[in-house]
Amino acid sequence: MELEKVLKKHFGYQSFKTGQKEVITSILAGRDSLAMLPTGTGKSLCYQLPGIILEGQILIISPLLSLMQDQVEQFKRFGEKRVIALNSFLSAEERNRALHHLNQYKFIFISPEMMRVPYILRKLQELPIALFVVDEAHCISQWGFDFRPDYSKLGDIRKKLGNPLTLALTATATQKVREDIIASLDLEEIVKIESTIDRPNIGFYVKELIDYRDKQANILELVANLKKPGIIYFSSKKTAEQMANLLTEKGICQAMAYHGGLDQNTRILIQQQFIYGQLDVICATSAFGMGINKENIRFIIHYHMPMQIESYLQEIGRAGRDGDPSIAILLYSPGDEHLPIQLAENELPSEQQIDWLFKKITDEQLFKNGNISLDMKLMELGGFTEIQWRIIENFVKNSSLETANLKGLQWTINNFVKERLTIKKNNIYSMKKWIETNSCRRENILKYFDEVKTKEVNPCCDICGLQLNDYQAINHLTVPSAKTDVKNWNDYLSKILINGELRE
Amino acid sequence: MMQIESIILYSIKQLNRERTIYSIYHLLNGKKSSQTIQDAHLFSLKKFFGIYEQLSRESFDEIYQAMVEKNWLINNGEQRYSLTTSGMTLLENNPLPQYINGWNFHQITSLFWERLSLLIQVVSNLAFCESRYIPIQKNIDVHNWLKSTLKDITVPRLELGPALYSELNKCFKTAKVIDPSLLVFRLTGFQQIGLTPLQVAAKLNLDIHNYQVGFTNILHYLIQKIMEEENQLKILPYLIDELIQDDELTLSSRKTQKLLLQGHSPDIIAKLRHLKLSTIEDHLVELALNAADFSIDTYVDRELQHEILEVSRQKASKQLKVIKEKIGAATYFQIRLVLAKHGDR
Ligand SMILES: Nc1ncnc2c1ncn2[C@@H]1O[C@H](COP(=O)(O)OP(=O)(O)O)[C@@H](O)[C@H]1O
Ligand SMILES: [Mg+2]
Ligand SMILES: [Zn+2]
Repeated sequence: MELEKVLKKHFGYQSFKTGQKEVITSILAGRDSLAMLPTGTGKSLCYQLPGIILEGQILIISPLLSLMQDQVEQFKRFGEKRVIALNSFLSAEERNRALHHLNQYKFIFISPEMMRVPYILRKLQELPIALFVVDEAHCISQWGFDFRPDYSKLGDIRKKLGNPLTLALTATATQKVREDIIASLDLEEIVKIESTIDRPNIGFYVKELIDYRDKQANILELVANLKKPGIIYFSSKKTAEQMANLLTEKGICQAMAYHGGLDQNTRILIQQQFIYGQLDVICATSAFGMGINKENIRFIIHYHMPMQIESYLQEIGRAGRDGDPSIAILLYSPGDEHLPIQLAENELPSEQQIDWLFKKITDEQLFKNGNISLDMKLMELGGFTEIQWRIIENFVKNSSLETANLKGLQWTINNFVKERLTIKKNNIYSMKKWIETNSCRRENILKYFDEVKTKEVNPCCDICGLQLNDYQAINHLTVPSAKTDVKNWNDYLSKILINGELRE
Repeated sequence: MMQIESIILYSIKQLNRERTIYSIYHLLNGKKSSQTIQDAHLFSLKKFFGIYEQLSRESFDEIYQAMVEKNWLINNGEQRYSLTTSGMTLLENNPLPQYINGWNFHQITSLFWERLSLLIQVVSNLAFCESRYIPIQKNIDVHNWLKSTLKDITVPRLELGPALYSELNKCFKTAKVIDPSLLVFRLTGFQQIGLTPLQVAAKLNLDIHNYQVGFTNILHYLIQKIMEEENQLKILPYLIDELIQDDELTLSSRKTQKLLLQGHSPDIIAKLRHLKLSTIEDHLVELALNAADFSIDTYVDRELQHEILEVSRQKASKQLKVIKEKIGAATYFQIRLVLAKHGDR
């Protein structure tokens, strides 16, 4: 009963969602825990609520800046002001201000790379940390789809902080990844709370096209008919832009593109316009959706093939949070797997690039005053992308002085790249296999996460006989459904500044 | 024709073939080189200084090359251009944006907009008694400004919306040749999210460059208007509070600040004011101490700032010499700046 009261008083919710109470109870009993709960089930609450009860700071490691920012804002909306996000969004000044007064904050969000700044780590060591939270914990494992080398050092950092009580959170992790998380955080007796990854109200539909050039026309037709709002995912910014323009020009709906190439202000506006129903459809790259909480998304379409089943599941998981029927459609044409393979290769430095780099650095440079110096100019000269360069830097910075030599280091990096590429390619093939399957898609996804389908879902998937007609808008001829907008600036201004009801 | 084209035509005429076309690009971008600053003075182009910081070189190339193709400009070689007769006629018949005042306002334009848009969003949500929403502006300084401003404003909370509405309306009413839509549709309020620049441009059927220049024009109009009518307005003057002046500074430091805002480097200011460089540096330290919006990043890069602070903390010392011994790369001036800006006060 106690917990329900806290829930209601501080968060205004009537009851816990699946898994939340189990996780919170386990944490409050002082037991390290691993929670795997689907996206949107409210994993954040699993540390927000204990934070109200436990003494000391809650430290939350989060991989994405945008996610962190969202979380901080969510807190503020609940009236919790004692939150801070330590990340590169902060100016040096803001960061110093915050570090000076760390103990005044209850919830501290931090990116893994910030944790490794010795000064910051020292500051954290001074705090009584009540709970060490690793959000998106699958990033720890190199078998995870979103492996981040910085995350793999978290075990070490946890030790340096005196082995605080730990909560690892993830939405999508295979058995192997879950084992990896536990091992790298060095958790011995852990409570695992795992709920099914199945979302029964989301139907699967794979549409095979003979020619990829038919995709645009297909999308236009689908979007015109389907119940909105929805998200269409792309692997390319340009295609996303084109599609958004096409949808708007043809008068099918209000659509905008969303991708990492847009400036921060524009991204915020478009996201908010979508949430408030000013837009029907977002044409997005994977940059969109993390942390957005919109209940009534009716469809998710994939124009390109995702890189792995895990991210596919996360992306379609943004549909139907309200529990109403929603549909996940994937368009596939022969040869589609080439694009993800190419993307996977581009994320990693090539063997030639590594070779070139190691010809440029001499032993002397490498061990100047006991440190390894890597000239930033080499990044540009060698044509490294930022992601590629970060991988290199990570190895160079962490090679230990006694054992490292240039040849050895080069070998290690090359090996790492090869291994990563193999893993990524395997992920892509698993995705392809799922697309080409002749048996129930839901069952196959469950199998991938070592679950068995226990109950029948209807409608389920195209293989099981799902019909797209069931997801159509009723009066689709009279859309667009997005709010009609005000034409005159004066009306607009008075609409937002003057509350007619109060005027009465 | 586009306003940005009028501005380019005008600038070319003023430059009189003495500078390359790219000096116009630098001017619009507000490049802080002594050449660009001098040019702005020399050719009477100050009001266009820094009015379009987002303009990319590629877009600039596209714009002026289209003007060449339309036969408004002639290429005189060495990237120098002059007006054709038709270019001249166009310039005479198309007014330049009337209120744009880059020289005086370019430093504060974006901060002014951040304040204005956050103020409107917050006041709008207050008017509808809504407390759960995502602030559209992320700048912490702007949030702090708003917090203290809301405390200071004497208008009762529930009347803020209508009051703000009537003040803005009053300001816009007297404006000639200005379309407030360019600004108003960008605003976010209660359950109504503002449009992006591209969206407004599309809605109003404007070219994006025309839109951006027009947007700056309105902001400058509004700043000017608020300054002029400070006494009749209760809320809007807070938007320019401390942007225009700061009372905690000594007169001499304020003069230095003014020159900095005009884009002069400390060296140049020392020459202009016939003072020693070290005196000017003292002013900068004073600014770092007192003026919240004064950034020291131009003088000390962030990495170094961090290092200085860390050493200061490690050694528990604010002694310049102690810090300097640890970080050879930092000058005494830089250490003073960092300590003034970030150190305990
Ligand atoms: N017990 C609850 N009842 C209702 N809504 C909840 C509850 N717990 C969390 N939520 C809401 O669910 C949404 C998703 O929460 P979030 O923590 O971001 O999910 P996750 O991290 O699992 O994807 C948020 O809008 C949150 O406010
Ligand atoms: Mg989450
Ligand atoms: Zn099925």
